[in-house]
Amino acid sequence: MATVTISDVWKYYGKTVAVKELNIEVRDNEFLCLLGPSGCGKSSTLRMLAGLEFISSGDIYFGDTRVNDIPPKDRDIAMVFENYALYPHKTVFENMANPLKLQKMNKVDIAERVEWAAKMLEITELLQRKPVELSGGQKQRTAIGRAIVREPKVFLFDEPIAHLDAKLRSHMRGELKHLQRRLETTTIYVTHDQLEGMTMADRIAVMHEGVLQQLGTPSEIYNHPVNEFVAGFVGEPPMNFVDCYIERQDDAVALVNDSGQMKLLLSDAQSRALAEKSADGVVRLGIRPDDLFVEAGQGHGLDFTAKIFITEPLGGDMLVEAELGDDRLTIKRKIADMGQPGEACGLAFNIEKLHVFDRETGEAFF
Amino acid sequence: MASREIVRYKSPARTMFSALVILFLIVFFVWTVLPLAIMLISSFKDLLDAFKLPAEGDWGGIGVMFDFEPTGAHYVELFTEKNFGEYMRNSLIASLGSAVVSVFLGSMAAYALSRAEFRGKRDLLFWIISTRMAPVVAVMVPLYVIFRSSGLVGTLPGLILAYTTFNLPFAIWILKGFFDNVPYAIEEAALCDGANRWQALRMIMPLVAPGVGAFIVLCVLFGWNDFLFASIIGSGGAKTLPVATAELVQPVKIQWGSIMAAGVITTVPMMFLGLLIRRYLVTGLTMGAVRE
Repeated sequence: MATVTISDVWKYYGKTVAVKELNIEVRDNEFLCLLGPSGCGKSSTLRMLAGLEFISSGDIYFGDTRVNDIPPKDRDIAMVFENYALYPHKTVFENMANPLKLQKMNKVDIAERVEWAAKMLEITELLQRKPVELSGGQKQRTAIGRAIVREPKVFLFDEPIAHLDAKLRSHMRGELKHLQRRLETTTIYVTHDQLEGMTMADRIAVMHEGVLQQLGTPSEIYNHPVNEFVAGFVGEPPMNFVDCYIERQDDAVALVNDSGQMKLLLSDAQSRALAEKSADGVVRLGIRPDDLFVEAGQGHGLDFTAKIFITEPLGGDMLVEAELGDDRLTIKRKIADMGQPGEACGLAFNIEKLHVFDRETGEAFF
Repeated sequence: MASREIVRYKSPARTMFSALVILFLIVFFVWTVLPLAIMLISSFKDLLDAFKLPAEGDWGGIGVMFDFEPTGAHYVELFTEKNFGEYMRNSLIASLGSAVVSVFLGSMAAYALSRAEFRGKRDLLFWIISTRMAPVVAVMVPLYVIFRSSGLVGTLPGLILAYTTFNLPFAIWILKGFFDNVPYAIEEAALCDGANRWQALRMIMPLVAPGVGAFIVLCVLFGWNDFLFASIIGSGGAKTLPVATAELVQPVKIQWGSIMAAGVITTVPMMFLGLLIRRYLVTGLTMGAVRE
């Protein structure tokens, strides 16, 4: 139970900068997800929080306590590692009991706590086994068990479910979220899987090349990405990007793609947001696959005619990749017969859901 | 393990090769076992029997070698008159003591060298192993002078120290390989669990136990079999078995029976030790070398 404040934190490895001027305030009992591709500095950040990595400059506070110079054992944290890091020579019970043993808790209480955690994680019958005899999911539960047996101020998760198979991963997402709500402990969760962030976190901090890109709720991140990186990283299938230039017609502003086959008239609010951009300004349009409409064949009544590139049925839904001029767009829709590759199809945009980014800096206009 | 069964195809050359292999093994077996067998048998013979040999080329007369009344007199003599009990104890203390000291200091140094990154680490590692590159004889004289002025000559601590100077570099290198193979995350988990560095090291010690075990044996073997250090540094108060055995060769009388018996009591404990930890030793020494 504590807030965590990361204040102006930098991390260097030699001359390489891993984390740049990071400022994050994690609220009490919050589930915060550090999201980003590999090498974005998220793991370094977590390891600095744990005290396993030296903080090059800046401060980290747990509550009001500055923890920079406090070793891991005195920080009152519990960490779950990507590769579980169980003690191979100890049983599941001994693994889970270890933190309590180090606290010099008496044996009866230790057994009680371990059994409580084991029950919660449904691994009671595995307590006498050694890690080699466990499956990936069971190892991961043991690692989580080792973290929850005591009541730490902060949970730190370093990609704990990255190595599980897809089905188990989706199951564990729900379990972890449930566990966190139940234990009411501030949790910082590192992942490169945007789905984990979107499904579990109260807030997501998206990082890229050591820099915090955006900090917000999953819905803010998804609906109002501040830049092209965040827009492209979050969401599956990823957002479509189309290079466009701005065309002004009286007060209205239109976006035309480079091949000239697409012309989108923007709303007044959107036009105003783009006002500062000069008439010949170039921008990048972003649109999510869910915000595009596609219909098969001719006579569809939609704004544009595109060409089917390929279709990918997903069961109930399907992905359609369509070519509009030189641009290829992915569209998600209910499953239907979309015809063969190369055939024409109709395409329309949900103008309200457009995102426009600066082509140079990647900053979002809206 | 990367080894696997090799497919063999029958051919005349292969058959011949197999025969040669068997022949080689027989020769090798005789070559290795015969001296030990002679030593063992002779140790139970009195002086007259020991020199009863068949005439050259008389293979039928080989039975003469086994025609004797077994006697334990040499062994009794060694332990009653010649003080071998004490020498054996000295050997044991010196070799085990040095093994324990080397492993204790070596594992701490190896852990640090395995985990920490610092400037000059490679040079330091090289320097450590380079101390093993000079032959013992080359350093013996200065070492003797130093030991004598420190009052360590002829004492067991002196001998332990001398063996440790030789075992420790080796310990550091071998154990570093073992520590390198222990994932860092396990210790980090221990640190997060609330352990300090020392406790974290203790937590991963069981993972390097095969290496430590194998290494203790190598250290013990080195100390137990050593003659040079023991004869010079240990001379007098800390006489060990090899030195005591050598002293049985006296100008007027070479006591063959006692020498053979001393040879047996020097060899047998180490042979049993080898048998006991054979499996352990092989996994221990290869585990450090290969990454799984």
